[in-house]
Amino acid sequence: MSIVDLMSMATPNFGSREKILAKLLRRDVVNCFQCIKCTSGCTALKLLELKPHEIMKLVNLGFVDELASSEIIWTCATCLKCVQRCPQKASPYHVIMALRNLAVEREAKVPEGYLKAVSQILETGLAEACRKIVTRKMETVDRECLGLPEVNKPKESFQAVFMKAMEEKP
Amino acid sequence: MSVREVFPKLGVELVDLHESVCCGDPIKSMNDFAANYLGARVLALANQTGLHDLFIPCNRCHFTISEADSTIRQNQKTARKIMGLLKEEGLEYNPHIKMWHTIDLLHDHIGLEKIRKTIKRPLESLKMASHVGCQIIRYSDLGRVDDAENPRKLDELIRATGAETVEYAEKLDCCGSALMFSHPDSALSLTGSKLKAVQNMKADGLIVSCPDCGLMFDGRQKDAATIVGAKFNVPVLYYTQLAGVALGIDEKRLGLHLNQSPIENLLAKISV
Repeated sequence: MSIVDLMSMATPNFGSREKILAKLLRRDVVNCFQCIKCTSGCTALKLLELKPHEIMKLVNLGFVDELASSEIIWTCATCLKCVQRCPQKASPYHVIMALRNLAVEREAKVPEGYLKAVSQILETGLAEACRKIVTRKMETVDRECLGLPEVNKPKESFQAVFMKAMEEKP
Repeated sequence: MSVREVFPKLGVELVDLHESVCCGDPIKSMNDFAANYLGARVLALANQTGLHDLFIPCNRCHFTISEADSTIRQNQKTARKIMGLLKEEGLEYNPHIKMWHTIDLLHDHIGLEKIRKTIKRPLESLKMASHVGCQIIRYSDLGRVDDAENPRKLDELIRATGAETVEYAEKLDCCGSALMFSHPDSALSLTGSKLKAVQNMKADGLIVSCPDCGLMFDGRQKDAATIVGAKFNVPVLYYTQLAGVALGIDEKRLGLHLNQSPIENLLAKISV
């Protein structure tokens, strides 16, 4: 949906906009003056049509609910070029991350990979569990046979504290 | 493996943390606070060792933990909450822990001169392309290891082994790894277009400074080839694997048999 469509079909929700601003701590979304430096260097633009400057404008106009339920916020490759190049320190990457956080809070559709990472961290402490690998010559190897030290799991107390952190809503 | 072999030879002793835990990167998209807590937890585990330098060989982990550290410094409310959670496990955050990445530890701390002097087998016949990656050089306000638009340190490190480096337009392009969670085909097409550029440069291989980028270019090279409709033959190594070869360390100890890309092509060129 383009900005023009939204302007005629949706109504802005300034409460949600405040929520995003609160999540962003001190980053200055409102300072965005649409220079489009972010979009012109965006890794995800060509492939997935992510246009960070549009996201910035939509947040400032109050169309946060539409963004939080949109799939477009999950196309960012997190290359951070927009943060680096933004002359206004409005930092589109951080805005996109705040929108993703809001989508998770609202139990919108989240790509499965992220959900898997959370359960994996809960279970093992790591986002990806240790596994055996097959070499170019088709030998199966693990840490032990490579002479690498064992990977120590976190203490049992970790699970509960991590869950507590996950429930925190800034 | 190559890190564990190379650093002691250059005078850096490595000590493992008591626990291995995630830096929090995939959680950033879900809950920024929890991600910062995980990052802070790694710093607190480092504090447990009594040492003041934390070595992080991955771009993404380095970025996530750096952001956690900067949030704690800048936001008292969040900092207090994180300290509280750490305390529940008897852990403590220490603001004096300095984070190091492979690039700045080797380039700024150990120094090119020392690396050049320690090299036993200069790799003069090699012409390498470098991939610095994204999150270790951006964004500068956070304090990164090299210039954001013109990173040179990794190339200087490669040249310290005697190898040549090549400049190419796609040098700063992203490996795509972060999109593997949501858009794997697009992620691999980013990987593929960069590999295409490296192959067209006729470079002997690609040097990465991030295991995640390494996984994309090395482990997923065949998948990327299928996506972009090309045939790739690009040896991909983590920097310390290349340095290890130049230091004369045994290939197996550097884990060269674990790379999935055709490392043989590169090794054959050195032994001639």
